[in-house]
Amino acid sequence: MAGDEKRVTPAVDIKGIRDGLLIRVSDRANVPLAEALGDELARKRAFLAGSRVAVDVGGRALGGEQLAALGQLFAAHDMTLWAVLAADGDTRDAVRRAGLATRLSGSATDLDGNALAAPPNGGEPPAKEPPPANALLLRETVRSGRAIWHEGHVVIVGDVNPGAEVMAAGSVIVWGRLRGLVHAGALGDTSAVICALELNPTQLRIADHIAIAPDNGPGRSPEQAAIRDGQIVAEPWVTRPTS
Amino acid sequence: MSAQVLTVTSGKGGVGKTTVTANLATALAMLGKRVTAIDADIGLRNLDVVMGLENRIVYDLVDIVEGRCRLRQAMIKDKRQPELYLIPAAQTRDKTAVSPSDMVLLCDQLRQEMDYIVIDSPAGIERGFRNAVAPADKVLIVTNPEVSAVRDADRIIGLIEAEEKGPGQLIVNRVKPQMVSRGDMLSVDDVLDILAVELLGVIPEDERILVASNQGLPLVMHGLNGSSAGEAFRHVARRLDGESVPFMDLSVKPTFMSRLRAFMNGQN
Repeated sequence: MAGDEKRVTPAVDIKGIRDGLLIRVSDRANVPLAEALGDELARKRAFLAGSRVAVDVGGRALGGEQLAALGQLFAAHDMTLWAVLAADGDTRDAVRRAGLATRLSGSATDLDGNALAAPPNGGEPPAKEPPPANALLLRETVRSGRAIWHEGHVVIVGDVNPGAEVMAAGSVIVWGRLRGLVHAGALGDTSAVICALELNPTQLRIADHIAIAPDNGPGRSPEQAAIRDGQIVAEPWVTRPTS
Repeated sequence: MSAQVLTVTSGKGGVGKTTVTANLATALAMLGKRVTAIDADIGLRNLDVVMGLENRIVYDLVDIVEGRCRLRQAMIKDKRQPELYLIPAAQTRDKTAVSPSDMVLLCDQLRQEMDYIVIDSPAGIERGFRNAVAPADKVLIVTNPEVSAVRDADRIIGLIEAEEKGPGQLIVNRVKPQMVSRGDMLSVDDVLDILAVELLGVIPEDERILVASNQGLPLVMHGLNGSSAGEAFRHVARRLDGESVPFMDLSVKPTFMSRLRAFMNGQN
């Protein structure tokens, strides 16, 4: 923040990131959020339309209604709001209640490539415990270029194609063919698993482990990948007795 | 009757969008339909060259959009097909000269007078692609039996689904049956396995496509026999028109030697 104060920051700063666009709105309290954004969005509409958007609102405190209004503002400009990054804890809670993400996926660096002093979701350490018991159900094929991020489990009824990325804080279940990249336990949960009817991924990641599928092709039967003895292994996906 | 707007797109460049557009538009016109082909690749126009109409261009797409001419003035009548027109792209401007809503407006004006409007999309997924897809009733995705082309096609299908233009229909272009039978090229089934969309046509690799493009005479117009790629394009046109046409058998006919080899191997 101190660095930001020194140079003249524009009220609204728009950047392309892997998951779509990141829009940072200046902290200066004298700029109303909706107004600052509305002008900018209207001006760049042609360029921005159709994109997925994460908004960094800085230290502003926003309630559920304001978040809903924000979502509508983007919808009105043909954009989809998927994440709101906020420094304020109550705002983050409101963001979660609104079903939006509160951090960008994966990286330990910010968008300028600097290491983050604290994760974007505040000073909390990465969650080691299982994520909150909410899951995202997608009944569609995730095609190349799509990036899914969810702070819980992800269940996909459909295929995950090469070039697609699914990242989840919890486990990822694919009721279909998994041929893209999946990162389960992306916040550090090493007990997360990845299951697929046909497990043939470009790459698998669980917590901070990375694995590349062997060349011998997918198994004919459903498989589950999990961390065993410090590495990711694939094993037949069988019903386990509840423990 | 109102025209159907077909947008031909692929994501990747060089897979044959322009060839497909020229041949489909021509084949539809040969079925007696009123057809307008629109080149949406502003700045890199090609469709006029492939259709052999380059020297007749006076006005272009950007001229219509910016009001320098009437729609009719920019519609170039084909040399051979009486009901085939081309609206060429501007060569000296770029994609931002036209907006998606301009394209919707333009196609709406044309709909009453046409049966089909075929739009040639530029490569990529940026503004030019959005311009081309905006007015589409149906999106035709062209791909080659090649991993990178299929990957891009998959991306495109995701994007058009997001635009609620349906999953689109697939044309697999430049299939080499010999290479497929040797296992050196993805088969059409391999492509469909990944993309999981409806197959509209399979176009075999054909050297005459190149010759035809250089002559500015789409292959479908050449002699009706002896052109398997031309035949495949005519089949696609008939399928678009609602006819049920079986897919061509592109399997390699076994030669005497290959049968002999298979026989010997079978004996061992």
